[in-house]
Amino acid sequence: MMFNMIIAGVGGQGSILASHIFADAAIRASVANGDNDIKVRVGETFGAAMRGGAVASHVKIGSDVFSPLVPEDKADVVLGLEPLEALRVGVNYIAPGGMVIMNIRKYESVDVKTGQAEYPSISDIASSLEKLNAHVITLDATEIAIKAGTAKAMNVVMLGALAACPKNPVPGRILEEVIKDRVPAKTIEVNLKAFELGFNKVNEDLRR
Amino acid sequence: MNIVASNRINEKVLLIGNEAIARGAIEAGVEVISAYPGTPSSEIVETLAEIADDFEYYVEWSMNEKIAFEIAAGASLIGARSLVAMKNAGLNVAMDTFMTLPYTGIKGGMVIVVADDPGAHHSSNEQDTRFAAVYAEIPCLEPANQQEAKEMTKEAFEISEALELPVFLRSVTRLSHASGDVILGEIKKPLKKIGFNKHWEIPYRWNVYGPPGAVSKHKWLHLQMGKSKNIAEKSKFNTFTLPINTDMGIIASGLGSAYAAEAMFVLGLEEKLAFLKLGFVNPLPEGKLREFLKGIKKLIIIEEGDPVIERQVRSFAQENFPGINIFGKEIKQILNPYGELNVDYVAKGISKAIGLQMKEDQERINIKKEIQKKVSPRSSTLCAGCPHLGTYWAVKKALQDRKGVHIVNGDIGCYEQGGYGVFSHKINSTDDNSKGYPISSPYEILDTIYVMGSGIGMAMGQSQAGYQDGKVLAVAGDSTFFHATLPAVVNAVYTEANITYLVLDNSWTCMTGHQPNPTTGINTTGEKTKIIDISKIAETMGITCIKVVDPYTVEESVQAIQEAIDFTGPSLVILRGECALQVQRRKKFKMPKTFIDRDKCTGCKLCLKLGCPAITFDNENKIAGIDSLLCVDCGLCNQICSFGAITLRKGE
Repeated sequence: MMFNMIIAGVGGQGSILASHIFADAAIRASVANGDNDIKVRVGETFGAAMRGGAVASHVKIGSDVFSPLVPEDKADVVLGLEPLEALRVGVNYIAPGGMVIMNIRKYESVDVKTGQAEYPSISDIASSLEKLNAHVITLDATEIAIKAGTAKAMNVVMLGALAACPKNPVPGRILEEVIKDRVPAKTIEVNLKAFELGFNKVNEDLRR
Repeated sequence: MNIVASNRINEKVLLIGNEAIARGAIEAGVEVISAYPGTPSSEIVETLAEIADDFEYYVEWSMNEKIAFEIAAGASLIGARSLVAMKNAGLNVAMDTFMTLPYTGIKGGMVIVVADDPGAHHSSNEQDTRFAAVYAEIPCLEPANQQEAKEMTKEAFEISEALELPVFLRSVTRLSHASGDVILGEIKKPLKKIGFNKHWEIPYRWNVYGPPGAVSKHKWLHLQMGKSKNIAEKSKFNTFTLPINTDMGIIASGLGSAYAAEAMFVLGLEEKLAFLKLGFVNPLPEGKLREFLKGIKKLIIIEEGDPVIERQVRSFAQENFPGINIFGKEIKQILNPYGELNVDYVAKGISKAIGLQMKEDQERINIKKEIQKKVSPRSSTLCAGCPHLGTYWAVKKALQDRKGVHIVNGDIGCYEQGGYGVFSHKINSTDDNSKGYPISSPYEILDTIYVMGSGIGMAMGQSQAGYQDGKVLAVAGDSTFFHATLPAVVNAVYTEANITYLVLDNSWTCMTGHQPNPTTGINTTGEKTKIIDISKIAETMGITCIKVVDPYTVEESVQAIQEAIDFTGPSLVILRGECALQVQRRKKFKMPKTFIDRDKCTGCKLCLKLGCPAITFDNENKIAGIDSLLCVDCGLCNQICSFGAITLRKGE
């Protein structure tokens, strides 16, 4: 078994928490299955005023996993918390046949706002990724999170969306269990709701 | 509960590298822990501070790395197990004591954790501190993953006590900040065998000048390092596999060995190449090296950082196995001696060395190149509502009003972003003397950035050299004020340097994750303590022109800065406003009230120049906007708009 995923976003969007929830759930799932040789690695950089900067968390699960970074063209899933970041990571890392799950809510950079750079359109981003043989799923995860109770739960909406994908190797109920353990106690309900709404959205889209 | 404090032995959990190191220290019964925050090392002590109530150890954020180092050393001399943590550049601050302590050795196990930063993700440089371990002649361990980080930390205490030397544990960003599965071990209670013995085993043990003097202590250190070779030889962290019928091999250390193992797997070479994984890297296990190199004709060395192991192996091979073809970062270069490693890069390097052709999908490469043109850069910014936005706006205004080519010397902290620039803004560099570049954004204000506190020293140099073309300023944060600028302030007064020093006081050590410091009002473990007033210190040191101002008040800030730069002699402005993130965490901020009056907005984009990420611009309708998910109602943009188009919504 080998599963590679990169969560791409902007500092402050919660990509690190999402990667830790997913990786923790992967460990629990492997322990529950008695898969002792399964290793889990999360590679990311954080801690230095990364708010507003591009952030990518690499998550690897498998028996031959040693290093914290996903090789080029080897990501089974790119979970894009922000469209431009989904493209930034997707173009280098998505595996042919891989899946990009993308929140369509833009977070414009200072470069774009000051008119020194252009932000590609969502349809351009999606079609570019499709040219690399990626399957692209889009959702307005920020809007869904607001419906669940807070925009901050967008990262968990995206985990729900991931859980609805056939490529996801970690059972949804274990993800929910870890969410309960890892988010602040007062926000458990909102986050579980966010997870459910994200799951339902993609589940319905995939059935169509 | 924090999982690092868990007593569920043998449970497999997810830990970041720094948490694994913290856990290793607890499992070893650590008694004293000290550090100055520095990315990527901060979470070690942050974690230990958070769970301090559950244990008997003492933990502190010290004022700088030298003090932190001395606290750990002092505790160790009387028998306590101690750990000191720092980032790569932090070691430079501790270097004085670091180089001399090994002459006397230590008593209680002492572990020095240094987190390097290949790729310079969060650092001013990429220095490889393993050189320092070699330089100081102390054992050095280099973990390959989180489990090993925990085991090595624990083992380092044992090695330290066996050799009576501090032990160096070298981490890197991709280990300290990466996570992995770790099996928890048993937590050991501190031994608490504290006592002082002036002549412990050696006369005048803790005094490098004590008769017969420093040279004899240096000789003792060499004898200890001889013993250390035996430990390295038997270390479980140095292992190798030797397939039959191969004359090609890889030596890899630390995280480099993780990339190498995975690259061999990707290339299908795991059973074709001999592989020596090193974890105990100074001194090298020469017996194991000898055994491994027998029959090897082609050798590839993979390590994160500089060619530290490569040089030692090359000199060993030259003496014992001349004729081995060695590939690495130096002579037969397959990897650069700068930047960081990854699996693809290491796989390419290995392929190059052994003459393996890697398949490339040219069509896919071409498609990628086309797409990459669309990926616009994302320059990092200060946070929405950050007090530094107000400070930099005021600095810009204050300087624009004064003719000349001004120099603003920065240093490191969140405010260093005032010198990052905007990536897509292309600069044409020229060699014109004092040409001066107009400040087009708050991210282009700082002209020099080096290290903690370097700004004020550089400013004094410029002033004393006779710079007359403009004003000379320096900026530093509150934590940096205490860490690295106290002697510099005295220096400025003593030499009557004509400089203005701006202290950007946001009450926390923010960039490394909001650690408390003497301006915060709480101590390392969160208990209330008194606030040390920066203005009073400066006054006592002899600065006569001191201003304290709130950076959220634009006009007052501009005025304070101008009064200071017009003053002859050293002047100080404290721009005091708490970090907006910390304020929000306390206040449970909901919907912002700031909004743009669409009838009044002229689309002039002046507000965008503030550099706040919460200000947006609708290019179609030529109108500014406020991102309600980011805005914190700091009130800065309201003061900047010339048309009164940004106001606060009434109500609530």
